[in-house]
Amino acid sequence: MMRSLRLPAAVVAGLLLSTAAAVAAPKTASGPGPEPQCFKPWKADTKYMQWPKKDGPYRVAIVNGFVGNTWRIQMIQTAKAYAEQPGMKERIKELKVVSTGTDVAAQLGAMEDFINQGYDAIVTIAVAPDGFDRVIRLADRNNVVVVPFDNVLDTDKVMQVNEDQLEIGRIAGRHILKELGSKREGKILEVRGLPGNSVDRDRHLGFREVVEKEAPKFQIIEIVGNWDDGTSQKATADALAVHGRFDAVFTQGGSTGTVRAMMDAKHPFVPMAGESENGYRKLIAEHAKDGLKGLSYGQSAGLVAISMKAALAALEGNPMPQLISVPIPVEDYTSLKAGVNYWPDLTDNFFTANAFPACGVNISAPEIMAKDAQNVK
Amino acid sequence: MADAALSTAPRAARGGTLALRLRQNAGLLGAIGLFVLFYGVYNLYHPRGFSQQVLIQNANEVFTIALVAMAQTVPVILGGLDLSVGAVMTLVNCLASHLVAGGPGEIGLGILACLAAGTAFGFLNGCVVVYGRIQPIIATLATGAIAIGLALFLRPKPGGKLDADLSWAMTNSLGDFAETYGLFGDGSGGGQAPWFQPIAGIPVPLVLLVLVAVGVWMPFRRTLTGRTVYAVGSAEGAAFMSGLPIARAKLAAFTMAGFFAGVGGLFLAIQTSTGNADIPQAGAYTLNSIAAVVIGGTSLLGGTGGAVASVIGALVLRAISFNFRIFDIPPLMQPLVEGLVLLAAVSLGALRALRTRNRLELFR
Repeated sequence: MMRSLRLPAAVVAGLLLSTAAAVAAPKTASGPGPEPQCFKPWKADTKYMQWPKKDGPYRVAIVNGFVGNTWRIQMIQTAKAYAEQPGMKERIKELKVVSTGTDVAAQLGAMEDFINQGYDAIVTIAVAPDGFDRVIRLADRNNVVVVPFDNVLDTDKVMQVNEDQLEIGRIAGRHILKELGSKREGKILEVRGLPGNSVDRDRHLGFREVVEKEAPKFQIIEIVGNWDDGTSQKATADALAVHGRFDAVFTQGGSTGTVRAMMDAKHPFVPMAGESENGYRKLIAEHAKDGLKGLSYGQSAGLVAISMKAALAALEGNPMPQLISVPIPVEDYTSLKAGVNYWPDLTDNFFTANAFPACGVNISAPEIMAKDAQNVK
Repeated sequence: MADAALSTAPRAARGGTLALRLRQNAGLLGAIGLFVLFYGVYNLYHPRGFSQQVLIQNANEVFTIALVAMAQTVPVILGGLDLSVGAVMTLVNCLASHLVAGGPGEIGLGILACLAAGTAFGFLNGCVVVYGRIQPIIATLATGAIAIGLALFLRPKPGGKLDADLSWAMTNSLGDFAETYGLFGDGSGGGQAPWFQPIAGIPVPLVLLVLVAVGVWMPFRRTLTGRTVYAVGSAEGAAFMSGLPIARAKLAAFTMAGFFAGVGGLFLAIQTSTGNADIPQAGAYTLNSIAAVVIGGTSLLGGTGGAVASVIGALVLRAISFNFRIFDIPPLMQPLVEGLVLLAAVSLGALRALRTRNRLELFR
C-alpha cells in the first residue's frame, strides 16, 4: 500500500542520518539575552540556550492541538495578525498553522513533517507534557527551534514560553483568602480544567498550596469544567445542587459559565477567582457591589506572539532563557475599567488579556475578535 | 480481499471471478484510490516528498490509528460497534509506561503483558455482550469507561519512561532498528550486512502493520470462527439455524478487537516513551476508528468488509490532514475542508445505490 522506496536515495539518506547523529544543536550559553524585560528567565538559575545563527527571513509553523474553543481561535488569529505586523512581516517568509486535534501521534507527525519540510521554527501547544523526545532529537539535528508554549513540556531540552501557572493558582488562593477576611472554615468550590494537562495540574497545585497552608479547615470540592463555559456551568450547577452553599469559588476557566450557574441557582455572590473572559469581567463589574468580589487573571492567547518573537530571536543567534516567564496580567473587581480591560458592548466569549507592552506586542483583544463580536451582538 | 466469506459461487461462475471480486470490493478500491491521490499529492508538493524520512514519519503517525481501526472492524463486521477501542488503547498505553522498561527480559515480558491485557479486556467485552446479552454499543460504552478509569488509576498524570533504545528502534527504519540492537552486522556495525541493505530503509511500524495484518487478521478470517463473524453480521438468524458457533464468534471478535487496540496502545507508548490517560484522545481514536472503517468500505450494518480495508481507511483519514501541512488552507477552515472531503469519501460507498436493479437490495 505504500510506494516502493527509491533505493539509492534511501541509502544516501540513511548515511546522512547516521553521520548527522553526532551534531546536537543548541548549546548552553550564558545570559542575559536580548530584551530581558520581555524574555524574562523563569528563575534566577534558568539556563540559557543558543542556536547557530541562521539568515532570515524564516519559515515558521504553528502546530496547535485541540481547536474549538474561543481561546484557541483567538490564539490562531493573534498569530496571523502578529506575523503581518511591520517588524515581523519582513522576518517571516512563511507562516503555516495546523491544528491536529487531541491526538499526540498526529501532533508528533505534524511537527516532524515541518522539520522535514525545512521549516526554521515550530511553535506548538503540546497536547501532552511528555512524549516529544523523538521530535526534539530530530529538531536538534536539523537546527530547528521548537517553542512549546501554554501547555509546555516537562523537559529542559527546548525553549519554552509560559506564564507561571503555579503562581496563577497561588494568586487565586491568596485573593480568595483575602476577600474571605477572617473566615477560615467552610466550603470552597474548585472548578478544574482539562484533565491530564500540565496547566490544569499546576494551577491546582498552586491554589491548594496556599489554601491548605493558610486555611486547612476549608473543605475544597473539586469538579471538572474543561475550561469551557458550557461544561463548567453544568458541573457547577450539579455541585451547587449537591452541596448547597459555597463560601468562595476558584474556576480555572469557563468562568462566565460558573458565575451563570450560581446566578441560576440563586446562590449568593461570593469571592471568586477566574480567567479573563470578557463575560466574566462584565459580570464582576456588574455584581461586585452584591458580593461578587472577583479576580480575573489572564492566560493570554497573545502568548503565541511572544513565542514567535522568541523563536525568531533564537534563530538570529541570540542566547535565550530555556524557560521564559511572561508576566501574568491580573485584574480584580477594584481595577476593572470599561474599554480598557473589559468591553461591556462586546461578546462574552473572548479573552481580554492579549497585549504585552513590554514585548512590543500590541494586538488588543477587540482588534482580533471584534469582527466576530459585531456579528454576535 | 474483504468479504467474499459467504460469496455467491454460481454468480461468480457467470460473471467471472475477477469482475465479481472487483464489484464486491468497490468500497475498498475507492479508498485505495483516494489514498493514492491524497498521499501522492502530499508527496509531490512536499520538499522532501517520496523520501525515507517522510515515509518513516508518516508510518509512525498512522500506526496507532490503523490498529485501532482494525480493532473496530471486527465488531462492526459482527454488526455491532465497539466504543471501547480508544479506551483500551489508552489503558494499554498507560500499562506499557509502567512495564516496558528495564532489561531485555523485563521489556519482553512487559510487552507480552501489555498485549495480554488488551486481549483480556477485549475478551471481557465479549463476555458482557454474549453472556450479559447486552447490545455491543452500550456494553462497550460502559467497559470503555472502566478502561479509562483503570488508565487514570495507572497514570493519574502523564509520565513514565519507556526504554529509550526501544523507542528509537521501533519508530525508525529497519536499518536503525538493526543498528540499535546490533543485528545483521557485517563486523563494522549492526545493519550493515549486504543482503539487508535493500530492506533497510523500510519503516519498522510499516513492517509491524503488515505482520499484524498478515499474521493475525488474515488467518483468523479464514477460520470457521472468522467466517462465522461475517455470517453473524450478515444474518444472525440464518447463522444460528446453520449451527454456526455464534457465541464463540462474538467472543473472538471482541477479543481480536482488544488485541488490536492493545497493539496500538503499546506502540503509542513506545512512540511517545510515556503513558498518558488522555480522555479526549481516547474518544478521538474511537470516533476516527469508526470513520476509518466506513471509508475502508466496511458496512456499519455488518457482514462485509475487512480489517485491511480499514487500515486503508485510516491511511486516507490521515493523508487528508497531511495535505494541510503543505497547502495554504486557512487554519480555521481546515476542519471544514476535512469534513467535506470525508463526506465525499464516504459518499463514494453510497454510489452503489445508483446501480442497483432492485430497490430491495438497498436494505442489505
